[in-house]
Amino acid sequence: MPLWRVLIVEDDVPTRDFFADSVSRCADLRLVAGVGTFEEARLLIEDTAQAIDILLTDLALPDGNGLDLIRLAGRVQPRCEALVISMFGDEDSVLSSVEAGALGYIQKDFTPDNIAHTILEMKDGASPISPMIARRVLAKYRALHAGEREAAVPKPDVMAGSAEEVPGGRTLLSVREQEVLELIARGFSYAEISKLKAVSVHTIQSHIKNLYTKLAVHSKSEAVYEATRLGLLQPPSSSVTPR
Amino acid sequence: MRCSLRCWVMSCLLWCSVAQAAPLELNQASALATVQGVTTAEKVSLPYHWDRHYKGLSGDIVFEVPFALPAVKEEPYAVYFQRIGNTAEIWLNGALLARFGDPLRPNTSDFAKGPQYVPVPARLLGQDNLLRIHVHADGGRRGGLSALVIGTEGEVRPLYVSAFNWRVSASMGVMIFSLLVGGIAMALWVSQPDPVQGDRRDRVYLFAGLAEIFWALRVGDVAIEQPLLAWPAWGVVVTAAFAGWFCCIALFCHHVAGWHKHASMTWVRIGLSVLFASSIVVSALSFALREPVYLTAWLGMVNVLFIVYTAAYLWGAVRVRNTEWLMVAIAGALNVLMGVRDWVAIRISGSYVDNTWIRYSSVLFGLVLGYIVIRRFRAVSVQATDLMANLSSRITQKEQELGQTYQKVEQLAREQERVSERTRILRDMHDGVGAHLSAAIRQLQSGKASSEDVLQTLRYTLDQLKLSIDAMHLLPGDISSLLANLRYRLEPRFAASDIELQWVVGSLEPVARMDANAMRQLQFMVFEALSNVLQHSHATTLAIEAEMAGSGICLRVVDNGRGFDAAAPPRKGLLAMRERAVAIGVAIAIESRPGRTAVEIRIA
Repeated sequence: MPLWRVLIVEDDVPTRDFFADSVSRCADLRLVAGVGTFEEARLLIEDTAQAIDILLTDLALPDGNGLDLIRLAGRVQPRCEALVISMFGDEDSVLSSVEAGALGYIQKDFTPDNIAHTILEMKDGASPISPMIARRVLAKYRALHAGEREAAVPKPDVMAGSAEEVPGGRTLLSVREQEVLELIARGFSYAEISKLKAVSVHTIQSHIKNLYTKLAVHSKSEAVYEATRLGLLQPPSSSVTPR
Repeated sequence: MRCSLRCWVMSCLLWCSVAQAAPLELNQASALATVQGVTTAEKVSLPYHWDRHYKGLSGDIVFEVPFALPAVKEEPYAVYFQRIGNTAEIWLNGALLARFGDPLRPNTSDFAKGPQYVPVPARLLGQDNLLRIHVHADGGRRGGLSALVIGTEGEVRPLYVSAFNWRVSASMGVMIFSLLVGGIAMALWVSQPDPVQGDRRDRVYLFAGLAEIFWALRVGDVAIEQPLLAWPAWGVVVTAAFAGWFCCIALFCHHVAGWHKHASMTWVRIGLSVLFASSIVVSALSFALREPVYLTAWLGMVNVLFIVYTAAYLWGAVRVRNTEWLMVAIAGALNVLMGVRDWVAIRISGSYVDNTWIRYSSVLFGLVLGYIVIRRFRAVSVQATDLMANLSSRITQKEQELGQTYQKVEQLAREQERVSERTRILRDMHDGVGAHLSAAIRQLQSGKASSEDVLQTLRYTLDQLKLSIDAMHLLPGDISSLLANLRYRLEPRFAASDIELQWVVGSLEPVARMDANAMRQLQFMVFEALSNVLQHSHATTLAIEAEMAGSGICLRVVDNGRGFDAAAPPRKGLLAMRERAVAIGVAIAIESRPGRTAVEIRIA
């Protein structure tokens, strides 16, 4: 089992200490650092000599936003997978984190074992999801799909040869993923779903992780597409890297 | 005889020498008048006004008018009478030249109202000629004979045509004009409401219309040679028409001045009715008693009355300076002047061939009425346009106000929603988190609870908080998500207590009537049931079951724990559950025995 290096970014000291403690206790995890500000985290992330496998970050930081940190990590250290520390695990913050590139969330009131378990599971390919999140993703997908049907005519201002495709709901979720999401939304556990759909639990878990990745990509590409359309960005044919 | 013959020849020669082209005007005749059986012979000069000689009496008179023509041209000749009648027969040199009516039948037709023209074939004429004219005159009917004019057609006809136009054509024109005006006025009276008293008709038009119709009769009489009634009845009719005209005109004037609102109006009406009646009486008497002077006197009185009235009217008009009133006053004044002139010229001075001038000035009333109507129409038009403009601006204003009101209502609704949402959240916090935190504090304060118990309570508090946040995102009626969420939140607790969870939830349709508040209350109820299982039941298996029951849903929380006495007075938690069920209108049924406890909730 490889050793995963974890960076914790949390401004509340007791919470940070608790997380640090939980990580330290786990044999498969190694704490890189526990910091409390955006700046400190940024320095550590941008220091490419310092490899970070897992980023554990709070959303509200005194001098910045956890989402920006997640995006930064995604750019600078592609191997780094982020988890967001959430108080309630409510859909809004989780989904925006997922769209920024996070692959899951950890609730503040988890037990130490839970924390380590979630981290390892995520590295193993299982991202945490709740029925509410699943419902939200489905709703968003349906809205995208409906919007896409309306805009069936290809937009003329899409640059020819653009590396980014016009974002559409059709490419986002496969039928399988949709089915899994629906069952999760209805409250079935992974075990029950695997029985119903005759797939392994692991497959289901990886569906979720893939789904999160796709959401992040979709969200990023959507932002780029919109920015290109509005003329805020040069098309990718130029040498400027889109943000 | 000799003298006259010489004079005759002299005058003939004189005439012939003066103007060969000029027609011959003959105004001397010898007449043989027969009145009431008595025949008188005399020399008369023309024009001969019968009523002046034999006032009021009817009779016959034969005129003999000799004349000489030095040269008879090879052209048609004609003789022109400015007046002849009432009926007559004309012989020229023993041949019957023309007949106007039947002189042997009295009180029938009247040909003396206008000029007459008789073509004369040249072969009847010679050097010396004799015209014998037998005229029958009805009493008081302005019979007689005017001067004769003989000549070629070319000479005579123009004179006739001119006289005819002045007398007959003009009168016809006036009559047609009066009929038109009268007709239009009557139509206006029928269709127009009174501008002041909207439900009644405007009398102005009625009186103007009637006046014009009366006048049409009076003036049109000039062309009526065969009246409907015999003389003197017809004379009364015509006089009554004249009276009708000026009485209605008086009423019309009254209305234009606005005097009809005055208290004296009833007297005015009575007075004019009396005047009208008097016209009939006086004219009847005048003809019957053969005293034209009655009619003359009556007409004189009418003139005086109207002079006084017009003076007062004009005075009022000048004072008030109302344009309509002023115009009517001027028309009236002119007419009164004409009336006086006519009275003097025709009734007093005895002119036989003169026309009345009032027939022409009466047109002024028609024109003034036209002006009044156009003015009123214009005023109404302007009013209507004003109203439309006003109306549209008022509508715009009202729409704006309405828009503002809608905005305010919307704001109030949103405000109300906010307030109710806030209330709900506060109540939620009180019921959920608040209750559990207080419980935790009590546990610590009592000193009897273990830290494990306090930890448990605090965990419930956090669960409650998470559930209330989740509840905010629940779609109303989505029971499936509610249960899924509860499972997600509480499953760690079950796992920690070694309780096996069985999930028997089918596909559930949304229940429309469960709004956000009802969903939260339901969540409380199910949470209460689940936490009871965790805390008190010591169960090993917990089943959450839900299925559709008709259009509603039936859900159950079933455990295999030790149960409790459902019949005993319920604990606070169970009491709260029942209260919530009642509040949101769902049915709750709890049954319990050792080994199986089921809490069933039916949502209809």
